[in-house]
Amino acid sequence: MRSSSPKHWLKQSLLYLSICVILFAYLFPLFWQFSTSLKESGEVFAGYNLIPKKVVWDSYATAWSTFNIRQYLFNTVVVAAIVTFGTLLSCAMAGYAFARLRFPGRDFIFYLYLGTMMVPGAVTLIPAYYVILKLNLANSYFALIIPFIFGNAFGTFLMRQYYLTIPKDLAESATIDGAGYLRTWWSIMLPLSKPTLATLGVMTLVAQWNSFIWPLVVTQNPALKVLAVGLSDFRLYRNIQWNALMAAVMIAIVPMLVILALAQKLFIKGIQFSGVNR
Amino acid sequence: MKTEMVPIQNRRTPSARHRWREWLAGYFLILPNLLGFLIFMLAPIVATILISFTNWDLITVPKWVGFLNYQALFQDPIFWLSLKKTLLFTVVNVPIQSFLALLVAVLLNRKLRALNLLRTLFIMPWICMPVAIGLSWTWIYNFEFGYLNHLLLSLGLGRVGWLTSQDLALFSILAVNVWEYLGWHIILLLAALQIVPPELHEAALVDGASNWTRFWKITVPVISPIFFYDLVVNMINTLQIFDLPITMTNGGPGNAARVFNLYLYQKGFSFLQMGQACTMGVIQFGLIVIATFIVFRYLGSRVNYDVS
Repeated sequence: MRSSSPKHWLKQSLLYLSICVILFAYLFPLFWQFSTSLKESGEVFAGYNLIPKKVVWDSYATAWSTFNIRQYLFNTVVVAAIVTFGTLLSCAMAGYAFARLRFPGRDFIFYLYLGTMMVPGAVTLIPAYYVILKLNLANSYFALIIPFIFGNAFGTFLMRQYYLTIPKDLAESATIDGAGYLRTWWSIMLPLSKPTLATLGVMTLVAQWNSFIWPLVVTQNPALKVLAVGLSDFRLYRNIQWNALMAAVMIAIVPMLVILALAQKLFIKGIQFSGVNR
Repeated sequence: MKTEMVPIQNRRTPSARHRWREWLAGYFLILPNLLGFLIFMLAPIVATILISFTNWDLITVPKWVGFLNYQALFQDPIFWLSLKKTLLFTVVNVPIQSFLALLVAVLLNRKLRALNLLRTLFIMPWICMPVAIGLSWTWIYNFEFGYLNHLLLSLGLGRVGWLTSQDLALFSILAVNVWEYLGWHIILLLAALQIVPPELHEAALVDGASNWTRFWKITVPVISPIFFYDLVVNMINTLQIFDLPITMTNGGPGNAARVFNLYLYQKGFSFLQMGQACTMGVIQFGLIVIATFIVFRYLGSRVNYDVS
């Protein structure tokens, strides 16, 4: 009855209109950077229209080869993909052991993990860098990958919480059937935890893609720089070609936006999980 | 007697073996993770505390200097400045972000057709690389050609040195930070709002409670645990702000945006004073512990953990 009244209809339209206005204003910076990346150099400094008078893609070519974005993108993809895969594997393994297997020292080790979750990254930065130097891994992909694959406390915690919710009988019946603990984990538990793995996977991928301070510290060699480090070099430049820089910025963020579009539910779940499961 | 003992022993032996196998499986499964944790987390934490008492340039052997690094930092005006900038940044950033996010979340918390799409659009800036976002905003903030000054000019106002003014630069960066992570807080608070039981609101409506009263008496208590959690995590993260200040102004102009982590990074990797950089790390951790304690002390008691 209420929903068909004109007053209600007007209220709904106003609500949608205000949300659209807020969203447009909120996302305007992203529109503006895209618009700049499509403009000719002459128009970049002259016009303030959101839709370019003439759409050109030259800036992308400049960014791709002159700014060396191609190399940075390649490095970022390789590192982020390997780290995500490794994190999933190591966290699923450890999470299962912490949740379901009994062994001496288990709880103590788990509390150590929890205890370090509040420690800021700056605390571990310098000794971790020294370890990488001593292992002769500085300026290599290993330096970017190894510290993140193992020992991700948040991921381990997330996986453990999930495995705790799976009924015990399920694993026990498999164990009685003669499957070993590792087989039980691999062939029964791991497939069951796919949804949580997917959430952890996308969250890790984004965090890794965007991470900055560690790659900045361990890579000086331009051939090994990831996008964040390569882009940050522009802070030192003068007379920036803004359209080409905005094209580089677009190349750096579009892959994550595509993943967001494909896996929006996983991200929303990830954010909610971080808040609701305190 | 004897015939009874046998089955018990038989049952015991395999179960002991069983336990062994469980131990082995457990250690095997946590081993890779634990090794990484020990080498890149636990050992570095201990090492940082030790290094903070030494003079070390990363190359030569560290020299034990006691509390000299702490003394030197406490006498270093830029250290205090970076601390002040970071605290100011946090104290302004966290409440504004929480308030704006709550506002939008309340607006979105109704039967909307495109809610999933709206949520996705709102977290778009969050998913973007902070370094890229920082550069994109330096273009918007650009003094001569930036969009923001163009807006001001077309309104008949003068240009503003968003990133070139000593007084303004930190706040311009802060605005970008608020903008970039707002979506995250909106999603979280929206999830909190959606666990508020509708029956509570309906009952209060019957009693004639106004929207405002219902918001304060029903909504706020129910969402308070998540709101409080969000506040604490946001505070801890903001105290570590680094990416935006370094990309947008490299800490400048002057020391206007030289936040704590940026100065720590420079101490370590520009001046190679690893001892002092580690000391700053230890101080930062102490700061986070104290700030968290204060927030729990003064706000934690107002959080309502019963309803949800």
